[in-house]
Amino acid sequence: MSISKSGAKSLDLLKKLPRISLVNLGPNPGAKKNEKRRGRGQHGGNRSGRGHKGERQRGNRPRLGFEGGQTPFYLVIPKYGYNEGHSRRPQYQPLTLNKLQYLIDLGRVDPSQPIDLTQLVNSRGVTIQPLKRDYGVHLVAEGAENFSAKVNIEVQMASELAIAAIEKNGGVITTSFYDPRSLCILCKPVPFFTRGQPIPKRMLPGEDLLPYYTDAKNRGYMAELAKIQEARMELARTYGYILPDITKEELFEMLSMRKGPRQIFFGLSPGWVVNMAEKKILKPTDERLISYYNSS
Amino acid sequence: MMSLHFQANYCVSASSSQTYPGITESTEEYKYVERLIPPSSVPTPPKHDQYPTPSGWRPPAAVPPALPYMVRRSRMHNVPVYSDITHGNRKMTIVRKIEGDIWALEKDLKDFLTHTSGTTPLMQVNEVNMSIRIKGSFDKDLKSWLLEKGF
Repeated sequence: MSISKSGAKSLDLLKKLPRISLVNLGPNPGAKKNEKRRGRGQHGGNRSGRGHKGERQRGNRPRLGFEGGQTPFYLVIPKYGYNEGHSRRPQYQPLTLNKLQYLIDLGRVDPSQPIDLTQLVNSRGVTIQPLKRDYGVHLVAEGAENFSAKVNIEVQMASELAIAAIEKNGGVITTSFYDPRSLCILCKPVPFFTRGQPIPKRMLPGEDLLPYYTDAKNRGYMAELAKIQEARMELARTYGYILPDITKEELFEMLSMRKGPRQIFFGLSPGWVVNMAEKKILKPTDERLISYYNSS
Repeated sequence: MMSLHFQANYCVSASSSQTYPGITESTEEYKYVERLIPPSSVPTPPKHDQYPTPSGWRPPAAVPPALPYMVRRSRMHNVPVYSDITHGNRKMTIVRKIEGDIWALEKDLKDFLTHTSGTTPLMQVNEVNMSIRIKGSFDKDLKSWLLEKGF
């Protein structure tokens, strides 16, 4: 049997049959069934499938949900605001450690550079919809046993076990807040740069999320560095692993890279305009603009 | 006369006046912008010391196995075995991207699945798409079987 790329047997058969035309084409037996036609013949006629007298035959049945006068189910159950304010609740797309390890193994995410939400979106590891109340990505600890990558990762929320898994492998994790406009820009930087607007300042979290991002246990970007060090050691004690010393690593500089609280991109300050066509960056020189963009 | 007056109003000098603040240009920090541009094609996976990698991925064998058929990797370098579900409860497994003698692969799959599950599952060979659809969910078993073969 010769090895051909596709449809060996069926193509051989086709070569021997007569030419295909409308005359010899037809559906498979049993593929097409005739529709039921009411009011025709012995079985379709007489009452035409409507039953005997009453509201049923005359087409006058009451509305859906009516229970003959008894208070219907949909009115007996009291209202409760389960979905009230659903469009004002922040949502976070989950990212498992399994998926992160898979992305690093297949070379879609580069662990020798700080991993940002932009890097995750560019590698198609997560899909963020800032316009659907997504506020970022949530690192989840599924696959923590097999995770073994040393990364500097910045997410919006992280579970305790995920933080422990990353720090155990000698990595650094930070949680930081992006307001919806900054998140749009972070997820899709190229369409933003083509607009020609200056990079805006990142807004600070509201009062609901401020306690989360000022807590060292969540590795919040607004927490004090000393407290974060203590929290790292405490987490190592809780989960029973030895905390590796990052200061003695080659990639220490990369691991200690952190964004400023008002910065959206690494290496680019707010207020700058990026010209992608000519590969230039335009920076303002006016003192008022500089003081506005550099203020916190 | 009118046109000269029209042009004079729109003649703005490059140096700063009170309405247009000045700018400086630089190309040093443009490397940070280049990092943000998404790649235009799927990157080839880097070489690892040990396989399987921590996430369980293995590359295809360097020499394709000496079989009458070939199962190529997908665009994202994974084994092309997928699970399908219809009507909420009808589970099927699909093997795609087959090349060569598809009936030999169908025979090998039948033998393997009869050996593992006891009963012979129903299989549909699609010669035009070069794919095989199997009744039942065997995606993990088939993926490991194909990896062992070296596809």
